[in-house]
Amino acid sequence: MSRALAELRHYPSALAGLGIIVLLVLMSIYAVLAIPYREAIRLWRGGETLWLDTPRNALPIWMTLFRPDLPRTIVVGSRGALRQEEDLGGGVRQVTLTLAFDYPYSQVPDELGLFLETEAVQRLPHAVLFWRPPDGSEIQLNEFTVDPHEVYRISADARLQRDLGGPPEAVLFTDAQNPSRVLRGRHQLIIKAFLFEKTSDMRARLVVYGKAHGLAGTDHLRRDLMIPLLWGAPIAMAFGLLAAVGSTLSTLIIAAVGVWYGRWVDGGIQRITEVNLILPGLPILILIGTLYSRSIWVILGVVILLGIFGAGIKTYRALFLQVKEAPYIEAARAYGAGSLRAVFTYMIPRAVPVLIPQFVTLIPTFVFLEASLAVLGLGDPVLPTWGKVIEDAYSKGALFSGHYYWVLEPAALLMLSGLGFTMLGFALDRIFNPRLREI
Amino acid sequence: MAANGVLSAEDLRLYFRTNKGPVQAVDGVTLSLRRGRTLVVVGESGCGKTSLARAILRLLPRNVETYAGHLWLNGTDIMALPEERFRREIRWVRLALVPQGAMNALNPVIRVGDQVAEPLLVHGRATSLGEGRRSADEIFRQVGVPLDFADRYPFELSGGMRQRAAIAMALVTVPDVVVLDEPTSALDVLTQANIMNVLKAIKRDMGTSFILITHDIATSSEIADDAAVMYAGQVVEVSQAGDFYRAPLHPYSQALMASVPTLHETKALGFIPGRPPSLIDPPRGCRFADRCPMRFSRCSEEPPLIRVDEHRQVKCWLHA
Amino acid sequence: MAEALPLITRKSRAAPSTLLRVVAYSATRLGALFLTVVVGIYLTILIANMGGYVDVIKRAEIREQVGISVSFDPVMQRLPPEERQKRIAELVALEEQNLGLDRPFLARTVVYLRDAIQLRLGFAERMTSDTGSRLVRNVILDRLPPTLLLFVSAQILLFFASVFFALALSRRYGSFLDQAVIALAPTSAPPAWFYGIFLILIFAALLRILPFGGMVQAPPPESAVRYALSVLRHMILPMLALFMTTIFLAIYSWRTFFLIFSSEDYVEVAKAKGLTSRAIERRYILRPTLPTIITSFALTLIGAWTGAIILETVFNWPGLGRALFQAIGLYDTPVIVGSTIIYAYLLAVTVFVLDIVYALIDPRVKVGQEGRG
Repeated sequence: MSRALAELRHYPSALAGLGIIVLLVLMSIYAVLAIPYREAIRLWRGGETLWLDTPRNALPIWMTLFRPDLPRTIVVGSRGALRQEEDLGGGVRQVTLTLAFDYPYSQVPDELGLFLETEAVQRLPHAVLFWRPPDGSEIQLNEFTVDPHEVYRISADARLQRDLGGPPEAVLFTDAQNPSRVLRGRHQLIIKAFLFEKTSDMRARLVVYGKAHGLAGTDHLRRDLMIPLLWGAPIAMAFGLLAAVGSTLSTLIIAAVGVWYGRWVDGGIQRITEVNLILPGLPILILIGTLYSRSIWVILGVVILLGIFGAGIKTYRALFLQVKEAPYIEAARAYGAGSLRAVFTYMIPRAVPVLIPQFVTLIPTFVFLEASLAVLGLGDPVLPTWGKVIEDAYSKGALFSGHYYWVLEPAALLMLSGLGFTMLGFALDRIFNPRLREI
Repeated sequence: MAANGVLSAEDLRLYFRTNKGPVQAVDGVTLSLRRGRTLVVVGESGCGKTSLARAILRLLPRNVETYAGHLWLNGTDIMALPEERFRREIRWVRLALVPQGAMNALNPVIRVGDQVAEPLLVHGRATSLGEGRRSADEIFRQVGVPLDFADRYPFELSGGMRQRAAIAMALVTVPDVVVLDEPTSALDVLTQANIMNVLKAIKRDMGTSFILITHDIATSSEIADDAAVMYAGQVVEVSQAGDFYRAPLHPYSQALMASVPTLHETKALGFIPGRPPSLIDPPRGCRFADRCPMRFSRCSEEPPLIRVDEHRQVKCWLHA
Repeated sequence: MAEALPLITRKSRAAPSTLLRVVAYSATRLGALFLTVVVGIYLTILIANMGGYVDVIKRAEIREQVGISVSFDPVMQRLPPEERQKRIAELVALEEQNLGLDRPFLARTVVYLRDAIQLRLGFAERMTSDTGSRLVRNVILDRLPPTLLLFVSAQILLFFASVFFALALSRRYGSFLDQAVIALAPTSAPPAWFYGIFLILIFAALLRILPFGGMVQAPPPESAVRYALSVLRHMILPMLALFMTTIFLAIYSWRTFFLIFSSEDYVEVAKAKGLTSRAIERRYILRPTLPTIITSFALTLIGAWTGAIILETVFNWPGLGRALFQAIGLYDTPVIVGSTIIYAYLLAVTVFVLDIVYALIDPRVKVGQEGRG
């Protein structure tokens, strides 16, 4: 067998496949180590508050190779900013925060957001917001009472939009006379806050959202796509591997048992296989996914169960029949070898040359099955998988709105893993199947 | 070419390409077949007999490397013919084959009668299937296949019947030469005898020339007119049957004869120690030298096919 | 004259035996297959009803039917509302008892099985058929023709294309084309819908020469010819997706198959007989291997049926698969369960049709004998 594996060297497709698999394994190891499972789930399912500072549907950073002027996100916090405090008496203080930043891009930002934090409980502060673009003008944005965790999405303010005559992130960053010219240079957000509680303070964070973020971009919930892309690898591989191992092994054992015990057992197994052929696999998985549970373990279990009496059983059965008629089996029975022992010692090892290529080629089938379920919306509700990303993208119309990266990245990874295992599997098939070797 | 000769091979070569190097299966074979006679080619497994059959019939495998020499049929150099002419004028029309293991020689999904009639239609000897089947029935009668078997499929026939059907198929176009490759190896003794009788009857009634390739010396002796012995891809002896079976000249032929039991003598059966040489890198000199009890110094040089008399040739220095 | 007679009787003995053989074989297979379908549907019902979902469907169906019959009954219509509700509840309870909904789990499932086999699949919760019917059967069967159109045409085309090219390829062993096909065989790993997404991206989003999805342009053209052309135009991308995922593997498999079988002895004999390469291919390579090819094709077909679900969703093709997808989104349980059952039937029909074709081709098939390996 090691001889056969050494022969792999001669098949370039096998080496390529092996290379891809190694890459995926490395990716999985990195994912598990760099972002531990709990952390990954927390980030993936944590909700908006975890992703406040990332832009929505941002392109991956490397797109700047093609579109050099994609703006990046700028975060300005009040900690290093200019702060003036004035005591107005009667317990009222006026705090003026000047959040200033340099804007070097020639495209307007994607979005503007302001996050305010205060410890005040009973008498909440009141804030007035002004914007000072580089040309020196001053525009009042809004004024409101500040909640302890205030989220003011400047770009989503409809009234502001009406007042400015356009989307705030565009109007505030372009020349009023020449709207196609982006104002680069020093912009300032001035917050005049009135604090009514003696011990309370206010902190502010201005986020000027860019259009590119991270190695993989972000999705509609502002989540960094690197998390599902990285974690998709170990999940996909684990699922594919476990399903392939589970169904192949059980098919093998059932076929062996059927051939060994013959007659009724064999006949019964044949009938069950025929029924299994008619059972529509994906619809049943859909049934279970919608009615009962979408947990990946349940799906894995059902997939293995449906795969036990699959079509592979015919191949193994034919093989085992050959073995059973062989003289050395008669000899084994003659010297009293037990049935189970005969099954395991003689028949199953004979199946290994057929098993290995089938097994390797089976893995991507299951990987895509899991992805298919996810695309249908029946994926595991908790796990970040490639299929889930595609489903998100598809349901949000990524292809129509031009967010191609959102679909292409998980699709490319799926394609890669599928190709990797399949190429290796085909080469293994050519090696282990002697008739094919001549050809 | 000898007088009255119908088929003649000179320095016929057929080499195959393999991972380990070229297999020189047929390495310079020279023999000739006279009209109406049966030439038996004997040799052990792996000596290149089947490859010889393929070489004569131009059934070259995918990995052929060398196909050279001369092959004359009725005076025409058929090796020089382009493929299409060979197919139309020679294949089955003049040269037919009864392959080894007729079990597998018949197409499992076509009725036997239709298959036997097929060559007539292919070569324009019959214009309709009905006409072809009528001629096929003639041959079936001669070969001893009951006519209602003609509508059956091959899997419905016994081994012996299938062999007869294959022979019928080879004869239906009345070719000049029929090559039979191990026609009786897969059959039981009784059926073997039957088939031999069929062949003898055909030989007598139709005057076809046969080349019978076999390792079964005993059975082939019934029908042989001439004999040739192959060893390691070469012909080492050619003679008339009577001379050959009674007193072979080449040490290998003698050893072969010694290993065959005879009915009317008590003799200790001999055997040949060692194994035939690999055809991938054949040894220099006489290829039988390693196993030959009469080897001497000159054997390290390859002997030519030495003509002993009008009908006998031996590839051995002992007869130089 | 005397020669002609035996020929005629021989021929006529051959013909009816073939027909008889095939008919008898079909009947046996039909029976066996039906049994298999029954077991399969029963399993489906078991799975669906483990959570009581089929009970819910059936109860809703009864309520619906009683409601309809009451609305047509003038006597009932004249009753005051509370009285009518009470009577309806009584009728519903009566029906439920009649149909056996009060029996234990296993007995109930057998009752449902009987209904399911006759395609009495209840009422959809939210979906309707094109004709406005809420019967699950109509909702699903309405959507069947588009699926059949797309799917069956694709598979037939694929079959013939792959066998044809595989035959041609087996003659060119070792050539560049041969090696290219071997190298491209792994493109079968991703399923059709996967390629579909890329195709939409390229041809619809970027190049804008083919439609994004749907079966026919909206609004649909008036003339039948333009309608047909529009449908054809919309079929291009989904069929291309189906092709891309299957064609290279299919060609590679059949070509390997033909190569192995062309080393059979009878093929050599055929060559020695002087048959042309084309005749050899047709009669000595293709015909004997056809039964095995058909069986293999059956398995591919079965796998592809259920894969079409997502393909139809991606291309917005108004077929069975997309209906199932919509049902998932709407959580319309009756349609989901009903679709699964219809799929089981579809698979059974596929197996049956291919069995018949197999019987027609392989002379080794006899009634009651397991001729296949």
